[in-house]
Amino acid sequence: MSASYPFGFLNEYAKKEVRRSTLKAVAIPGYQVPYSSREMPMGRGFGTGGLQLTLSLLGKGETLKVIDQGSDDSVNAVNLRSFIEMTCEGINTTTKTDEADFIQSRHRIPETALREDQLIVLQVPYPDPLVVVEPSEDKRKILHGEADYSRLLVKLYEDIVKFDEITISHRYPTRINGHYVIDPSPIPRWDVPKLNQSKALILLGAGREKKIYAVPPYTKAEPLAFEDVPFRVENFSDENGQRRSCQRCGCTSSFLDEFVDSKTGKKVYQCSDSDWCDAQGSASVAEGRTPGATDEYPPTNIEQVVVANG
Amino acid sequence: MLNLDPIWMPDAQQIHFRLLLDAMARPGKCHSLTIAPEEGPAVLTVLATLLDAEVLLADPHTLLRSDDWHMLQVASAVVEQADYVICDGSRAPNFTPKLGTLPSPEQSATLILVVDELGQGDASLRLTGPGIADTESLLIKGLDKQWLEMREDWVCSFPLGVDLILLDGRQITALPRTTKVEML
Repeated sequence: MSASYPFGFLNEYAKKEVRRSTLKAVAIPGYQVPYSSREMPMGRGFGTGGLQLTLSLLGKGETLKVIDQGSDDSVNAVNLRSFIEMTCEGINTTTKTDEADFIQSRHRIPETALREDQLIVLQVPYPDPLVVVEPSEDKRKILHGEADYSRLLVKLYEDIVKFDEITISHRYPTRINGHYVIDPSPIPRWDVPKLNQSKALILLGAGREKKIYAVPPYTKAEPLAFEDVPFRVENFSDENGQRRSCQRCGCTSSFLDEFVDSKTGKKVYQCSDSDWCDAQGSASVAEGRTPGATDEYPPTNIEQVVVANG
Repeated sequence: MLNLDPIWMPDAQQIHFRLLLDAMARPGKCHSLTIAPEEGPAVLTVLATLLDAEVLLADPHTLLRSDDWHMLQVASAVVEQADYVICDGSRAPNFTPKLGTLPSPEQSATLILVVDELGQGDASLRLTGPGIADTESLLIKGLDKQWLEMREDWVCSFPLGVDLILLDGRQITALPRTTKVEML
């Protein structure tokens, strides 16, 4: 192949437009800034919004981590990482959260708390939380401008009436700096509190829907809830009220994926964040504890049964 | 071979954009520009990073030379309609920039104010708001007080407003519309 692309694949005009939109997104926390999402050499819906942000922002000498559902080895992460490595000569990649300057992620925020000098880009399939209650974008833009989320609250209330709790498992509507409500991308509820007063800048990019928005550092991010029905994260307790642990590293404080062991048919649990799991595993070896039963990641004898949407 | 000033090159623009992004994300923190233009005003570094033919620029205080306009490829507009406005911070504002609309607040101006010095000076500001953990202090030399008074009016009905980038020839800092500014 002899065709040469500029650093970052996108041409400089495309990058400048993404950059200008990103500055406005940071200046107006939670507002979805429209931009002319470019055609990328992969299908829309495969993280092209996050990818365009990364390609427009990343510079030589920076270290990048790409995650898909907590894992650096999932297909989306592998594809995006190798595309970025191919088109951004002079960058480094890592799987370790604390070594990364720049993180692009699909559907998880790392368990390791991010620092001020780090930046995370989240891939967004559906940017507008109001789309479930208002089909017209013109009208949604006015509702957002007026911070009128009454219909969304009614939707949550209907959930409580029907099911005794709010049933949104991921993409939990979250209010940024007391005004705009965002769709924080399909992160689990577990990750929503990490948006609040984050030390790192959080950027969200939707390629198909052509929107960029941001949660600046040290900014209030409140999940929508009611006084008598507060927001809560996933509960990993077993039937005896005991917190389940990761079968691989033994961690009892991380977000767990549920698997079924194909031999025994039993449910097993394992950290969703593979870098976190590795770090816990090596920490337990250093302390002389026995890590979980499986040393390989992902273990080969089990099938994942829970597949998140988006 | 055309010998181009580094500020027009993609590598420098990427570095400068990240400084601008960090400035906008952490209001009041000063960042040093790494590459200054070989000739022409320092504000060119910021303009070269952000502008192209798709946006409108106003230069009411004539800080740019005609050559600079050619290089920027940007179209000129009256100050009330421009997306980007560059001004001498020591001269009081006599216009109202674009503040955006309720459904589209991003269609508002970014003001780039050239001041004498950032980090010291007679104007002492205490900043709070998104991007600031507790409070941030900012000293500015050579900024007419009327800018901050007018800004109060421009940003009083969020999400409408303007975003400020301040620059002293060496350093940049930013005051997005969400920052609360208290003059000490």
